[in-house]
Amino acid sequence: MATLAVGSLLQNPRLSSPRGQKLLLNLKPLRSLDLDCSPHRKLLCSRGACFSNSNPCGKFYIVKASSTDTAPIDTFSSADILYEQTFPVNRIEKVEGKLLIRLDQSKDQLNWRLTIGCSLSGKWILHWGVSYVGDTGSEWDQPPQDMWPHGSIPIKDYAIETPFKKPSKDDTFHEVKIDFNPSSAIEAIHFILKDEETGASYQHKGRDFRVSLVNYLEDDGNMIHAKSSFGKWPDAVEQLPNMVLKAEASCDSKNENRRLEGFYEEQPIVKEVSVGNMVNVAIRKFPDAANIVLHLETDIPGDVVVHWGVCRDDAKTWEIPAVPYPPETTVFRNKALRTLLQPTGNGSRALFTLDEKLDGFLFVLKLDANSWVNFQGNDFYIPLSSARSVKGQSDSESEETSGKAHTDGIINEIRNLVSGLNSEKSLQTKVKEAKESILNEIEKLAAEAYSIFRSSTPSYPEEDSDADDAEPTINISSGTGSGFEILCQGFNWESNKSGRWYMELKEKASEISSLGFTVIWLPPPTESVSSEGYMPKDLYNLNSRYGTIDELKDLVKSLHGVGLKVLGDVVLNHRCAHYQNQNGVWNIFGGRLNWDDRAVVGDDPHFQGRGNKSSGDNFHAAPNIDHSQDFVRKDLIEWLCWLREEIGYDGWRLDFVRGFWGGYVKDYLDASEPYFAVGEYWDSLSYTYGEMDHNQDAHRQRIVDWINATNGTAGAFDVTSKGILHSALERREYWRLLDQKGKPPGVVGWWPSRAVTFIENHDTGSTQGHWRFPGGKEMQGYAYILTHPGTPAVFYDHIVSHHRSEIGALISLRNRNKIHCRSIVEIVKAERDVYAATIDDRVAVKIGPGYYEPPSGPQRWSLALEGYDYKVWEASS
Amino acid sequence: MEVSVIRSCSQATNLKTELGFKDSRFSFGKFNEKLFFRKPNSVSFQSPLRRGKSGLRITAQAAQSDPLPKSKSSTKSKTLNRVRLFAGLPLDVVSGGTVNQFRAISAGLKALKLLGLEGVELPIWWGVVEHESMGKYDWSGYLTIAEMVRKAGLKLHVTLCFHASSQPKIPLPEWVLDIGKTKSNIFFKDRAGKPYRGCLSLAVDELAVLNGKTPMQVYQDFCESFKSAFSAFIGSTIMGITMGLGPDGELRYPSHRGFAKSDTVPGAGEFQCYDKNMLHLLKQHAEACGKPKWGLGGPHDAPANSELPTANTFFKDHGGSWESPYGDFFLSWYSSQLIAHGDRLLSLASSVFSDSAVNIFGKVPLMHSWHGTRSHPSELTAGFYNTATRKGYEEVAEMFARNSCKIILPGMDQSDKYQLKESLSSPESLLAEIGTACNKHGVGISGQNSTVGAPDGLKQIKKNMLSENLNDSFIFQRIGAQFFAPEHFPLFIEFVRKLNQPELHSGNLPTKEGTTTATDSVHTRSNLSIHMQSA
Repeated sequence: MATLAVGSLLQNPRLSSPRGQKLLLNLKPLRSLDLDCSPHRKLLCSRGACFSNSNPCGKFYIVKASSTDTAPIDTFSSADILYEQTFPVNRIEKVEGKLLIRLDQSKDQLNWRLTIGCSLSGKWILHWGVSYVGDTGSEWDQPPQDMWPHGSIPIKDYAIETPFKKPSKDDTFHEVKIDFNPSSAIEAIHFILKDEETGASYQHKGRDFRVSLVNYLEDDGNMIHAKSSFGKWPDAVEQLPNMVLKAEASCDSKNENRRLEGFYEEQPIVKEVSVGNMVNVAIRKFPDAANIVLHLETDIPGDVVVHWGVCRDDAKTWEIPAVPYPPETTVFRNKALRTLLQPTGNGSRALFTLDEKLDGFLFVLKLDANSWVNFQGNDFYIPLSSARSVKGQSDSESEETSGKAHTDGIINEIRNLVSGLNSEKSLQTKVKEAKESILNEIEKLAAEAYSIFRSSTPSYPEEDSDADDAEPTINISSGTGSGFEILCQGFNWESNKSGRWYMELKEKASEISSLGFTVIWLPPPTESVSSEGYMPKDLYNLNSRYGTIDELKDLVKSLHGVGLKVLGDVVLNHRCAHYQNQNGVWNIFGGRLNWDDRAVVGDDPHFQGRGNKSSGDNFHAAPNIDHSQDFVRKDLIEWLCWLREEIGYDGWRLDFVRGFWGGYVKDYLDASEPYFAVGEYWDSLSYTYGEMDHNQDAHRQRIVDWINATNGTAGAFDVTSKGILHSALERREYWRLLDQKGKPPGVVGWWPSRAVTFIENHDTGSTQGHWRFPGGKEMQGYAYILTHPGTPAVFYDHIVSHHRSEIGALISLRNRNKIHCRSIVEIVKAERDVYAATIDDRVAVKIGPGYYEPPSGPQRWSLALEGYDYKVWEASS
Repeated sequence: MEVSVIRSCSQATNLKTELGFKDSRFSFGKFNEKLFFRKPNSVSFQSPLRRGKSGLRITAQAAQSDPLPKSKSSTKSKTLNRVRLFAGLPLDVVSGGTVNQFRAISAGLKALKLLGLEGVELPIWWGVVEHESMGKYDWSGYLTIAEMVRKAGLKLHVTLCFHASSQPKIPLPEWVLDIGKTKSNIFFKDRAGKPYRGCLSLAVDELAVLNGKTPMQVYQDFCESFKSAFSAFIGSTIMGITMGLGPDGELRYPSHRGFAKSDTVPGAGEFQCYDKNMLHLLKQHAEACGKPKWGLGGPHDAPANSELPTANTFFKDHGGSWESPYGDFFLSWYSSQLIAHGDRLLSLASSVFSDSAVNIFGKVPLMHSWHGTRSHPSELTAGFYNTATRKGYEEVAEMFARNSCKIILPGMDQSDKYQLKESLSSPESLLAEIGTACNKHGVGISGQNSTVGAPDGLKQIKKNMLSENLNDSFIFQRIGAQFFAPEHFPLFIEFVRKLNQPELHSGNLPTKEGTTTATDSVHTRSNLSIHMQSA
């Protein structure tokens, strides 16, 4: 089909049909070829009066098309209409139009504009991309955002699609305008045209259209280049043929040798339009006549040949009837007759006189050498006997068969695939292949959708319960989120200094998201005695040194907008009082939660609380809250729910959870239903004579105990792993990264789904630096946590440092290989100067200066990332 | 200059061609339904529904003498294939004006199209669109979706959600909640006075509680804004609109609060007539009935929300207050308020969209627990006065019929077999009851699966799709990770394929269509249009 179209166009560049030519000049070719066939119908009616062929009665009305036209009914008085049927027919017609390409300078003399227009109606889409100076190969790049015309959508990461717009409402003319700055490094704009209505794409000599924006490039054949003729955009159609205004434009921006020349060019394009026509068949019998008269009329333009026959039984076996035949009838291979329909000015028709004893009239239409019109893959069948029963071919779709056999096959296949039914027609092999490929396609698309949904959405109750009949693959738990989370700590110890951190972070939202993070941890939001926020006072006052409550909401909204879940940093252990009690001790609270000293634990003499003994360790700088009090818990739950609702937090980072029993945390989490929660359970590792013990089981046991107390509703920072990494990396004791049972030695070795691994945070690093990760080894640390199970957390300072791209690469490797918090790690080496492990048999990692290469086993390993003292490989099945 | 045309997407092209047909047929179907079935003798050709050639073709046919006996068409209409299958988009597919998981949605749409689904359902939230302030609408995200759906060659069924969602959290518009902070009586309240913030109380429908406007006016403005924003899609891509009627969009009171867990026996639910305005209406009504003392509150002996029906005497099988004159007084009033509310909203929707080629739907809940008792407590508290001795769904179906609206019934995946014995639940018989009422009043039924899911759900859905209970469409809830998961999606493909093989399950088929059972939706629609032509 495609080549045919081109061929005929080349020979006849201006002609596809007489009407087409006329219309081309109008540049409105589609209007009258449109699907609306009402004009034809009208003509059919009005012409009725001059219908007089061999018909003695003369007047013969086929159909009345419009409700206003009622008169013709009377003309049926002399003969009975026994049968009448109109079959819609869809044909593909070629319409020619123009593609107009213009490059010129905008009025402000700074920017340039590429305008691409199309004179054919349709839902045109410009599918385009750019290439940069120095690019090699033929890959496109996505244009920079500032070039995107309104309404553009990105297509993968290399192109965008921009719909054509009509400059005015009733124009058929469409255009896209692309503004750009000539000083950018863009070498060329590449595009192809797509028509959404038909799905066809339009290329230039089989390749992309290409508009070069630099003039020193060689013309490689498919380039549309400046011809030093500077065209004026045709405002009016009449100007079209000779509108070239000679002009030279040069761009004198600061840019040295890049001179752009404006140009204007037209290219013919041919569109295949589906045109609706109809075939009308009516049977009439005259009183006293032995024969019946079948009238066939169609509005398909051009010569139409009816290839016809009759049958005498239900088997629909073709037979050649007895004479008379209509004029222009020939016998075709003794099997059928061919009658050229007589033109009527707006279509053509023929009358067939038939014996009424015949059972049916069979036909197909032949439009030209290759085009046949049939009825849903079968012959048209007009029951004659049923002039008596008018049932017949009641269905009414016919399709053009020419050249469409294959695609029809595919459609049938989709039907069959969906229906699972083998229709009466037997399936052909080709069609079976199509069926498989569609099934494959469906599966591929579903897999794509699944992977994105899975990694970015929480499950809803309905999904959980859907899981009743299908095994759940993910369990969203407040402790783990989807299991595929990667956390970003979105602040450091200095973030409060500017007073507008929320706004600053908002600027970075999309950047953080694009690095591959799924969750971001924001600083403590409440009013606080200390500017960093960890000494909260009025919990409902969310104006802090990080910004106002409105800025916070705005930030959360932006973060959600880029697909990040947001953790609020909540300090539940302690709270600073507003007022002193009668002894001058600060233990009376104000604000919405105006608790008295009963809310303060009773075993901290500093604050003279009247509450119960603390359920955990005390934090001595502020009154510790007594979580055993019902009213305290009720108020805190309400507060957390309020934060969820009001601010939109998705989960929590729980400060200093060592200070109170994990069981209370469970209550808080059950009630506030976070998507993800992580607690800071911080205590010292075991050292003997100043040296860290190899076995840190006691340390991680305390963290695991706390997680247990929360009933697994929260995860915890894996302080143990951080501590061990310190020793292992600093002192080249990589053997420390293996515990006695062959597993990772931190919390991640025992309860990976609840371990939030990290190497640095606002306390340990940043300007506090009280337990800074060994300098220069950060990437080894990230290579470890970002390839291993557990939920890795990356510290803000590191993603704004020179580590950023390496971290980004590790994150994308983690996402690509779908490593999650429960992935299986197998440690293959833990020696003095090297540690190596494989994760889920898909990723291999080594850290340390020593040598390691993954063995070639069932998988073939290819090196994916490499940095200072670390390497990561991916399995290529 | 030469230009080559490549038809890389020839398959898509033809799909589109097919679709064009479906499309116009569908609208024709409605055209007929409204104009022909009801008043066969007053055919009007001025319908705005006619588009393109098929419309015209049909016009020509319609004016012609009747070629097919009518009875034929009505028997033909009962094939499974008439039911068009939709899948619901994620509830939070749009938030804050952006489309979430854009790529996943677009891949998903393609997969559904290839699978042969008719279209997708899109929940549009009041709390998202009119989030900030009254009259300020942001349709952008939803328009993007509509465009994606149109591009994918699918149809769109829009659900206008005037309620809130708890999971994912989509509250009512902020400004409404703000008003609610001071005027908690715009919300339903239970006996303990606890407000339900998931939707507005039906008692304020006509009260100017929202910055001087009544909720009805606000809903109307919303619908009209929707109509103008989506004018390019309505009637072509958007073929159906569900009007939100209450909690979870359903026509009911929020009688069952909190999460329903599948492994616990649900309570009877609680009457929700305790907000100031409901109480006021009740008082007026009681006084009008000459029983002023009956208007002081709800039934004193009804159990609380999570309590079993047996916890108190109101619902007792024998001698319960529900059967007393007071019970009848209260239940009649309570249910009629709900029906009047549904009537208000559906007639609003019908009038706003009267000149659009869309069907209007409303959702009725399937309150199937305790259906086995005589008093049907769950139905009563939800506002359906349907008991062992009273057919309560008649009035509901009649109200839908009056507004020419179709009904959406959820819970089509629930089968009796998997219900907890203790809850005396029977989703199947309740469904049949509602189905009968609808059929009697000529109300079309569209099905949905329940949001909680059910074992063997797909099997049950198929069973329902083959039965009288379903005759318009089915909306599968809903796409997302679980839907596309390797454990589920293949089952769904299988489900879709089997749906179209009714002959393998002929036991379930009410009638056989001869040997040429329509093999796919395209053909089916052809059949449909033929009936219409004949009408």
